[in-house]
Amino acid sequence: MKYAALKFFLLETGNIFRFAIRFFKEGFKPRYEFAEFLKQCYNIGNTSLPIVTTTGLIMGLVITIQSHPAMEAFGTESWLPSIVSVSLVREIVPVITALICAGKIGSSIGAELGSMKVTEQIDSMEVSGTNPFKYLVVTRVLAATLMVPLLIVLSDTISLYGAFIGVNINQIISFHLFANQVFQKLSFGDVLPSVIKALFFGFAIGIIGCYKGYNTQNGTEGVGKAANSAVVISTFVVFFIDLIAAQIADILHIL
Amino acid sequence: MEEVTTYSTDNIIEIIGLKKSFGKNCVLNNFNLNVKQGENVVVIGKSGAGKSVLIKCIVGLMVQDSGSIKVFGDEVSKLSHDDLDVMRAKVGFLFQSNALYDSMTVRENLEFPLRRHWIKSTKENIGDLVMEALTNVGLAETINMKPAELSGGMKKRIALARTLILKPKIILYDEPTSGLDPVTGKEISKLILEVQKKYNAASIIISHDLNCAKITSNKIVILVDGTCYAMGTYQELSASSDKKVNQFFD
Repeated sequence: MKYAALKFFLLETGNIFRFAIRFFKEGFKPRYEFAEFLKQCYNIGNTSLPIVTTTGLIMGLVITIQSHPAMEAFGTESWLPSIVSVSLVREIVPVITALICAGKIGSSIGAELGSMKVTEQIDSMEVSGTNPFKYLVVTRVLAATLMVPLLIVLSDTISLYGAFIGVNINQIISFHLFANQVFQKLSFGDVLPSVIKALFFGFAIGIIGCYKGYNTQNGTEGVGKAANSAVVISTFVVFFIDLIAAQIADILHIL
Repeated sequence: MEEVTTYSTDNIIEIIGLKKSFGKNCVLNNFNLNVKQGENVVVIGKSGAGKSVLIKCIVGLMVQDSGSIKVFGDEVSKLSHDDLDVMRAKVGFLFQSNALYDSMTVRENLEFPLRRHWIKSTKENIGDLVMEALTNVGLAETINMKPAELSGGMKKRIALARTLILKPKIILYDEPTSGLDPVTGKEISKLILEVQKKYNAASIIISHDLNCAKITSNKIVILVDGTCYAMGTYQELSASSDKKVNQFFD
């Protein structure tokens, strides 16, 4: 009993890894479910657009407003666009957007697959000659892996516009000058790591949502638990990936 | 419906010494059953007796611990994934919960097995097949509706239409009348009988509903303690003096 929680954690981690390995084994073999993949891309990408763009704008605006007094105190007010843009693109927007996606996409995949499992729809698919893992899991994980980085890049852009509005609250600055200051500091080396880690965020959100939904048990009660635990685990894994990515980026920068 | 009257005497399903346990709970133990083409076999047993497990083993959704299940002469547990798909194309499965895909319309639900099994049909042919299947169950008007918009009986009919769309040789019904009112249940039972006549399909019907068993069965199997306790026609078993058999007919 003493180690039950530890045992459960290790078992669950092992099972998620096995599930991910199965994804790589089955994902690249034909038959390819292009239509379902595109449908999932649309579902994940399109339905997340309003919340991601709105929060992106707010993030840019708030970070700029919050940073302004401190930078003004040090007399570095003119650096505001460049400093804010680097922190937004490198860290704040990818992580916050991934957390929003973990909540929205993770719970929706977990609940959808969970309810399909308890109502025998997954069994029915298998009887219909369809590999449900390929049709349901592979398509959703690939769609999340592709769409989360795209959403993050979009959110980056919107957040920079939010930062422009934030800067203009306290001073008048043209968009041209703002963009010049941003891109003087913001390099490809800032964008690339955030896009790469966004791919991992998307993959983790997709695979965990699918794992929890696909292995739902105990009827409708299990569906709620699957959706809930998909969000909790995805959120934790997003932070964990961010930690690893920061370390790797730091090491590569030193090298 | 056009009636097919040619009945073969060959066993299309052969189950010998089937055993299936879940932990220490042995639900099927040395279960034997043969089903001929064109024959409707109703399996009756208490809840948790292993009736649904039996048909899930037949279609390869569960794997037995020991024993043999032959469908069309092939040992199911030894079939490769591809061969299993080929076999499943000839086996229809009506789930207890209907298992209609919530995110799809009725049309898409019915098209799904056709597209999955690479039926070489044009789009118009697929449309015709869908419409024919819906007309057979009397629900052509629901073609663009979502499952959530249908009543329990309608869902059951649509699920049956989807089961039949590939014109299966074997149909496995998991409690086809459960959750339905007696009138709708009787309609579904008559539909099962019509299907038997039209497609000359072999069927295993899991049911608690004696009316359904009476209408649809050529043979009834009583499942007790994981084994085939008694087998016979409805008339034979309902007249039985055996207590374990009688409890189902009282």
